Amino acid sequence: MENLTPEQETFLADLFPSDALLLRPEQTAVFSTDASRLRAAPLAVVRPKNREQVAELLHWAHSERIPIYPRARGTGTVGNAVPAKPGIVISMLAMNRILDIDDRDFVAVVEPGVVTGDLQRTVSERNMFYPPDPASSGFSTVGGNVSTCAGGLRAVKYGVTRDYVLGLEAILPGGRALRSGGRAHKDVVGLDLTRLFVGSAGKLGVITELTLKLLPKPETTASVLAGFPDIRRAMDGAAAIFRAGMLPAALEFMDKATLTALDIAGTSPLPKEAQAALLVRVDGSEAVVNAETDRLQAALQKARPVHLMTGRDENEEALWDVRRGISPASFHLKPDKLGEDIAVPRGKVAEAVEGVHAIAAKYNLTIMCFGHLGDGNIHVNTMYNASWPEEADNAAMAKGEIFRLALSLGGSISGEHGTGLTKAAYVDLQLDADQQALMADIKRIFDPHGIMNPGKGW
Amino acid sequence: MNCILCGKCLEVCPLLRATNREELSPRAKADLATLLKNGELPLSGEDVAGLTGLCLGCRRCRDKCPQGVDVPALVADLRAAHPDFRSWLWKTWLKRARELWPSSSLAAKLIPEKFQPERLAPFLKALALLEGGPHIVPFVNIRELPDHKGEAMLLFSGCTARYVQGHWRKTAEKLLSAMNIELRKDKFECCGIGLESAGFGADAGKMREKNVQTWRKAGKPKIVTLCVSCHKGLTGYSGCFKNPEEALQWTEALTPISELLFDGRYVLSENTPARVGYHRPCHAPKNDTDHTLLTAVLGERLRSHDGRECCGFGGIMQLGAPELCARVNARCRQSLEGAGVVLTGCSACAAQLTATAPEGIRVGHWLEILKTP
Ligand SMILES: Cc1cc2nc3c(=O)[nH]c(=O)nc-3n(C[C@H](O)[C@H](O)[C@H](O)COP(=O)(O)OP(=O)(O)OC[C@H]3O[C@@H](n4cnc5c(N)ncnc54)[C@H](O)[C@@H]3O)c2cc1C
Ligand code: SF4
Ligand code: SF4
Repeated sequence: MENLTPEQETFLADLFPSDALLLRPEQTAVFSTDASRLRAAPLAVVRPKNREQVAELLHWAHSERIPIYPRARGTGTVGNAVPAKPGIVISMLAMNRILDIDDRDFVAVVEPGVVTGDLQRTVSERNMFYPPDPASSGFSTVGGNVSTCAGGLRAVKYGVTRDYVLGLEAILPGGRALRSGGRAHKDVVGLDLTRLFVGSAGKLGVITELTLKLLPKPETTASVLAGFPDIRRAMDGAAAIFRAGMLPAALEFMDKATLTALDIAGTSPLPKEAQAALLVRVDGSEAVVNAETDRLQAALQKARPVHLMTGRDENEEALWDVRRGISPASFHLKPDKLGEDIAVPRGKVAEAVEGVHAIAAKYNLTIMCFGHLGDGNIHVNTMYNASWPEEADNAAMAKGEIFRLALSLGGSISGEHGTGLTKAAYVDLQLDADQQALMADIKRIFDPHGIMNPGKGW
Repeated sequence: MNCILCGKCLEVCPLLRATNREELSPRAKADLATLLKNGELPLSGEDVAGLTGLCLGCRRCRDKCPQGVDVPALVADLRAAHPDFRSWLWKTWLKRARELWPSSSLAAKLIPEKFQPERLAPFLKALALLEGGPHIVPFVNIRELPDHKGEAMLLFSGCTARYVQGHWRKTAEKLLSAMNIELRKDKFECCGIGLESAGFGADAGKMREKNVQTWRKAGKPKIVTLCVSCHKGLTGYSGCFKNPEEALQWTEALTPISELLFDGRYVLSENTPARVGYHRPCHAPKNDTDHTLLTAVLGERLRSHDGRECCGFGGIMQLGAPELCARVNARCRQSLEGAGVVLTGCSACAAQLTATAPEGIRVGHWLEILKTP
């Protein structure tokens, strides 16, 4: 299908009046792409304000067999929001009301287009806490986060988005509304349809409302940045923290290539002897944080760091600026990047990082490893120059090997971003035919004609 | 640098926040500019200029972008390549400030019927109020000001203070003279920021040249600014200098008046309102000295919202899409709710917020609260 028929266009124009329907190429251009930078033009973009419009659209699209692509802020890095086959993009940004924040039930009820950072700010004013914190929380949405099961720095202690979704409302192809879960923090009746939607990347239906779990807000935080002579010693430091019975609120690591990039960019406060680093945050009441900071330093000292820095308040943010500076600094190494987010069991992180370094040496590439040590989620950034064909080929080959390495260690090819378009070809490495067939069967029950976000990997 | 579509700029765009229309986002604008340049889609330059021209020129996206993409500059280029009646009107408005600004009725006459002047009512009201809406009654007594004896400085009043809000300029002059500053006569032109964002880079360039000349002739003294938008405009003069040293001298010369007032002593009088709102202009620098000064002077009484909202003035965008500007403005007013007096340090914000203030709320430049010697 190349174009909408005049009848189809009329239907959409009636349902989505004025600027809620976009057809002109300059208007729809941005909806053809996302942070993956892949691109495919949609037939139209619609912007519903309420569930009724979504239901009517899905009823129609189901009978017309037109692909539907839910889209929030388009910050996904694997192309999940790209309309790979001609179809209609539903921009969910106009459904962005916070419907309720309840400090007795400790829940928030929101529409999916709410920006995660806005929700965090709003609940924080009421002394509550919504922990999932992808680095994109300031510019991505709760609906997008739920659909990708976004994770972040706090996952080691607080879990990922999945752990905060208590209930939802979704419109299924055909226009049926599904409500599942609710405000109760516990519920074991029936199959967990709510969880099925978490991370489903718009392949089952369109989420129109979410009920999220909140926590009391921790009073304060403190952080420690420790530099080590090598990655093994850094891992020993991390092990010492857990052995001391502590569960930090964030536990990040950086390898040698990462520290080199920061050094070139002039944003590393660590001395040159530091070839690996840990960045650790603790949170809680003032008294607890003071005590935990001491224990943390003592635990880290056991692994004999070459440098140790502690930060509170503004100084603490300065330590985290080091972490935030990694992505921009990476381009000081090479102009192009292939970014993967493999996950391995926590105890296998050192092996995984050393394995990646071996792959880097084999292909003569610079590969940076950093990320969420606490939950085994490693960001593997292969830096290369796309205009050098040999290096580009090597980077592509390294990508496959990195995935195989993660799987051989009992891990996953993606801990956060999903597979979408950029990793669809590698899904077979992780999921066998039976698993994929079962998933396809489940999807068919929700979406018999396969109109929801087609063309993407599991 | 090219846009990598990361989306970081989406966090700060007040237009996206007020409209939820992603096609108006900075990322969409950066992407369209690239697509048009590379001829990748069958796009009409005029249509692209029309859509990307829906931009408030707040420059927040530029400050946020890790790639250094300057979306408002891309927008200005597109506006320059596809000028229309609105551009002409805006240019006339800025270039003939001396005669037009003091008389909004004259400005209204420039707008032909087919442009539905009634749609531009808020804009015209903002212009009318530039002539002098209800002013703030000063409530801060100055006990002591720092002594700058022997220092010569130039005052950059800005078009608003020069042509319509003469009392801002007078207040500034009195304050500077009370600090024993040897004040040279203000012979500056407009800073050029409004013309530049509207796509009249060449006209802005001429003004810049003249301003730098004026400064050189005066022996390169400090330049005291009253308006953060003028200040921002003046900081963007990179191409006008003989060498990097002179560029650095210029940057170091630019001094917001609030910075000079830091070391003074101030006492609140009895008529000080219980809640004073502060609107942080989009063009305020990271280190917002106006805010620091007001916090020191007003303490608990100063309520600053989170600084994310734009007043919705929008410059040339007002002429094309006043409805969208009004939506941005509505969010801004909401964030200032509860304050009887609203202060800001930008002429355009002051005009826009005055024009749209609910009954009984006074808005003005923060200089208005000072009882001058
Ligand atoms: C700089 C940067 C940093 C990032 N950091 C992290 C990180 O730390 N952790 C992490 O996990 N991710 C991260 N991401 C990736 C991305 O931000 C997340 O995947 C995020 O959850 C996407 O949210 P979004 O609102 O942009 O959704 P989109 O990208 O628009 O959509 C994502 C998916 O959700 C689906 N979807 C959206 N809304 C709905 C709905 N209402 N109903 C059904 N399906 C829907 C879409 O179809 C798509 O499949 C980062 C991205 C960038 C650019
Ligand atoms: S303009 Fe900059 S911040 Fe915005 S999407 Fe492009 S690269 Fe990212
Ligand atoms: S200049 Fe302001 S209004 Fe224009 S795109 Fe950038 S952030 Fe948005």
